Amino acid sequence: MDRFPLAGRLLLVGRLAVRDLRRRRAEAALLLLAIMTATTTLTLGLVLRDAAGDPYRSTRAATSGPDVVASTVRVAESAGVPGPGKPARSTELTELAELAGAPGVVGHSGPYPVTAARLQASGRTSDVQAVGRDAGPASVDRPEVLRGGWVRDGGVVLEAAFAGALDVRVGDPVTLDGRSFEVVGVAVTAAMPPYPKASCIFPCMNGAVPGGEAGAEPPPGLLRNPGLVWLTRTDVRNLTPDPDSLAYVMNLKLADPDGAQAFSDANHGVAMQSWQSILEDATELAGDSQILLLIGAWLLGLLATASLSVLVGGRMAAQTRRVGLLKAVGGTPGLVAAVLLAEYVLVAVAAAAAGLAAGSLAAPLLTESGAGLVGGTGTPSITVPTAGLVTAVALGVAVVATAVPAVRAARTGTVGALADSARPPRRVGWLVALSARLPVPLLLALRVAARRPRRVVLGVASIAITVSGIYVLLVLNAFLAGQPLSGGYGDAQVEVLRRALLVVTATLLSLAAVNAVVITWATVLDNRHSSALARALGATPREVSTALAIAQVLPALAGAVLGVFPGGYALFAAVNATTGGDGGRAPLPPLWQLLAVVLTTVLAVAALTAVPARLGGRRPVAETLRAGLT
Amino acid sequence: MSDAADIPVLRARGLRKEYGKEEGLVRAVDEVDLDIGAGETVAIMGPSGCGKSTLLHLLGGLDRPSGGQVRLNGRRIDDIGEKALAQLRRTDIGFVFQAFHLMEELTAVENVELPALLAGRSPRAARRRAEELLERVGLAGRARFLPSALSGGQRQRVAVARALSNEPSVVLADEPTGNLDSAATLDVLQLFEGLHGSGQTLVIVTHDARIAATADRMISMRDGAFVDETWLTGGTTGRLGALIGLED
Amino acid sequence: MQQEVVLAMLAKEPTHGYQLRTRLRDALGPLGDAMNAGHVYVTLTRLEKAGLIAVERSADGTERSDRKVYTLTPDGQQRVAEWIAEVSWPKPDLAEFHLKLIAAAAAGLADPLTIVDTQRRELLHRLRDAQRTAMAEPDHSDAALLLEGIVLRLQADLRWLEACEKNWTHRRSGS
Ligand SMILES: Nc1ncnc2c1ncn2[C@@H]1O[C@H](COP(=O)(O)OP(=O)(O)OP(=O)(O)O)[C@@H](O)[C@H]1O
Ligand SMILES: [Mg+2]
Repeated sequence: MDRFPLAGRLLLVGRLAVRDLRRRRAEAALLLLAIMTATTTLTLGLVLRDAAGDPYRSTRAATSGPDVVASTVRVAESAGVPGPGKPARSTELTELAELAGAPGVVGHSGPYPVTAARLQASGRTSDVQAVGRDAGPASVDRPEVLRGGWVRDGGVVLEAAFAGALDVRVGDPVTLDGRSFEVVGVAVTAAMPPYPKASCIFPCMNGAVPGGEAGAEPPPGLLRNPGLVWLTRTDVRNLTPDPDSLAYVMNLKLADPDGAQAFSDANHGVAMQSWQSILEDATELAGDSQILLLIGAWLLGLLATASLSVLVGGRMAAQTRRVGLLKAVGGTPGLVAAVLLAEYVLVAVAAAAAGLAAGSLAAPLLTESGAGLVGGTGTPSITVPTAGLVTAVALGVAVVATAVPAVRAARTGTVGALADSARPPRRVGWLVALSARLPVPLLLALRVAARRPRRVVLGVASIAITVSGIYVLLVLNAFLAGQPLSGGYGDAQVEVLRRALLVVTATLLSLAAVNAVVITWATVLDNRHSSALARALGATPREVSTALAIAQVLPALAGAVLGVFPGGYALFAAVNATTGGDGGRAPLPPLWQLLAVVLTTVLAVAALTAVPARLGGRRPVAETLRAGLT
Repeated sequence: MSDAADIPVLRARGLRKEYGKEEGLVRAVDEVDLDIGAGETVAIMGPSGCGKSTLLHLLGGLDRPSGGQVRLNGRRIDDIGEKALAQLRRTDIGFVFQAFHLMEELTAVENVELPALLAGRSPRAARRRAEELLERVGLAGRARFLPSALSGGQRQRVAVARALSNEPSVVLADEPTGNLDSAATLDVLQLFEGLHGSGQTLVIVTHDARIAATADRMISMRDGAFVDETWLTGGTTGRLGALIGLED
Repeated sequence: MQQEVVLAMLAKEPTHGYQLRTRLRDALGPLGDAMNAGHVYVTLTRLEKAGLIAVERSADGTERSDRKVYTLTPDGQQRVAEWIAEVSWPKPDLAEFHLKLIAAAAAGLADPLTIVDTQRRELLHRLRDAQRTAMAEPDHSDAALLLEGIVLRLQADLRWLEACEKNWTHRRSGS
């Protein structure tokens, strides 16, 4: 080997690797797909962690968020208490202004006038609290404009989540209490939790009307789910002919932000909200949807692991033999390992790149809902650490997949690696005996399964994981469906959570489908020879295809049942335990739904495996047996 | 139609199998006519690549001809569906392969009973028959061994027993001793002699003259076609002496 | 039959003519059936004339050859010892067949492949006979070993015919 220059050796290794990959295109493609699914999932997870990990804090940093927001009108002590708005008196305004000089305050903006109004946009109406701002940037609370620009006379800027909920875009005409405005921008702020959790500067209530039916009018004088909009000071004053009915807000920066709560408790006379309490309100929903995504990421990770182990396991068996061959023709163990490594690294790098691309394309789907939730800072992009970690994981798979056969082949020696099949089929005696009593397709199916018990376990696990996930999603869905009636989340929030649910479900199902196909394909490849043999001995193609399909469907059935109970039940309990939610509120899915899930799963797996199984049952017998000779 | 005994077990007319196209065209089997009577043992010999295996696959319905006819017990099998073919293979044809092709995870007796199970026999009947057959090939003591624990000759005897499982009208063997040494070859050879003696119809493709010599008839193939046919029956023991110079 | 074979069969002890034939038949098995009794006695007579064996008349004094008792003379014993030590081996005469093929092809007398086929038929017949006979022999009989030798020999000849066939097919398609 030492006679070759390094470049020549690299070329040789590369050529051998590429040739082997080419020779098994289908397998290489599936491997790529499986690693890619894993890397995509990982990318999504990491992106979401970055995006939703601390959205409020990042917004706060980006907008120079206040530590304390003070306002002249006390936040309604309890939502739903009817009563007229307390007009701002000049004394109160003075008190508010004096806060700027209070000990511990190092910066402030405002006081800004605020008025309550009714916003109408393309048929939809909503209560709003309109804050009058200067056109220039403030030192504290500079709402970050996501789209469009900042306020000008006649132009209104909407809080991002509110704009999203109303489906209003920059340039749209809206009216405020009948006056026409143009939407000039959409922005986020840390001074108030995003829609529909706004702080009540005017007496207001968020969520459903307590004790009332859906859609019941709130008591008069009380704002319902008010959105936040920014206008110029002039426009705010113009909206309110009576200056006494204006409220004022002021944003304060403290020397000790951690002491914000203590500061607001100590200063009386004006209503104050610390950034910690805004944070609490702002992230309540984000937390819920993050938990959903987190569950999803875990389930996806498990599924990806299952398909990877099937594929890599199957390939490793073939590779052990190949290592033996290469050694027999004079390859050094080093060369052999290098070829294997090169093969997997090629696939892994491609998969990592594809996974990162797919992940970043898919991320907006999830973060869009995230942005609404948290008043987020726009679509998060792939950071260097994320890309690095994803690539590292893909390469890790490559290294493990290389190391095992390389070590195994080195240990078994050339002759051993060449002898017989590298991964002889298992023998499960009782299954063979049992199957003798069954009709031909079942007989063959059980024997197919018995040859690879580990793969059956993986198949069962993969379906069980998926069905557990679906079970939890069903519970959550049913829970959300009950929400608008029972109070807790508003319509918009339910919508957001539903979207997260949908994304998780869709990803889960597609990965489960990939898994089913991967496992079937591996089984078909693995059984090429014995299928041909069974046919030479008189099994019909249909019997063989049916057997291959049944060998997948039976584990799927077992997996689906296990996935419902105890899988789904346990997963739900675990979710409850980790989130501290009270699962008692959520109704368990009815029996018919569970039966439908099991049935659908079995049918779906049958449909997915039908094609590879049919192909597997129809290969020309003579050719396969002839190929088996070499 | 005349007496049923007159109908050959296997009859091929103008049988052809081609692979590839134009310059790459290979006539693996080229216009072959063949009749094999009940109880007859026929050996097919010829140089490597002359189309022996292909012919055997066509005769056993494992492969479809490009042209011509194959009749098994008077019934055409070259144009019937895959399912009907499978059923025929299950009841009327037994295969023996050079590479044995036993299922590695099944014991000897499980391998032998498999065709009977595929044919829908009861598990008990299939097992009983398998045990009888193993006894007949001299492997009664190895019934519960996995193929990996058997010698090459023993594996091939298991494969022969498997081929006999459904009492086929014809057994087709493709180089049954191709992977065996001479001692193991002798075992298999004796087995075939025994089968011949019991009236089993046999077609054996082989490179081994000793195997061919057990046949009633030897056919030489070249380039996909039959070029010579020898009836080996009615030997002349008298001339044996000449072989060692005992006679002048 | 070679004189030395008969001579060596007598080396054990003085032997009756019929005993000698029995001994030969046991060793040769079914092949011995083809042995011509007269041929053995002609050989014995030649050996006697050459002074390699001595003849004792049997007690009843008859002149029948199979009643005579034959013994080796010292010359005969020396000859047997020399023969045992010899390494001569029967020569398979392949050149004749080889030249037959070449001549037939050159002069267009016949297709060499047809000659090969015909020859193969003949050898296969012989092989079949030898093999059948061998299989009929009880285990470990002396004759079975001899038959095994014949079978292997024929097999080798048939292999050579295969090589001839391949070669002549090649020549024909090559020309
Ligand atoms: N699937 C195929 N595609 C193309 N050509 C094929 C195919 N199968 C066989 N052949 C060709 O058909 C010819 C006959 O092959 P076959 O296997 O029947 O030969 P054989 O007589 O059995 O040889 P051997 O004694 O080596 O087993 C060969 O030339 C082979 O290359
Ligand atoms: Mg062949």
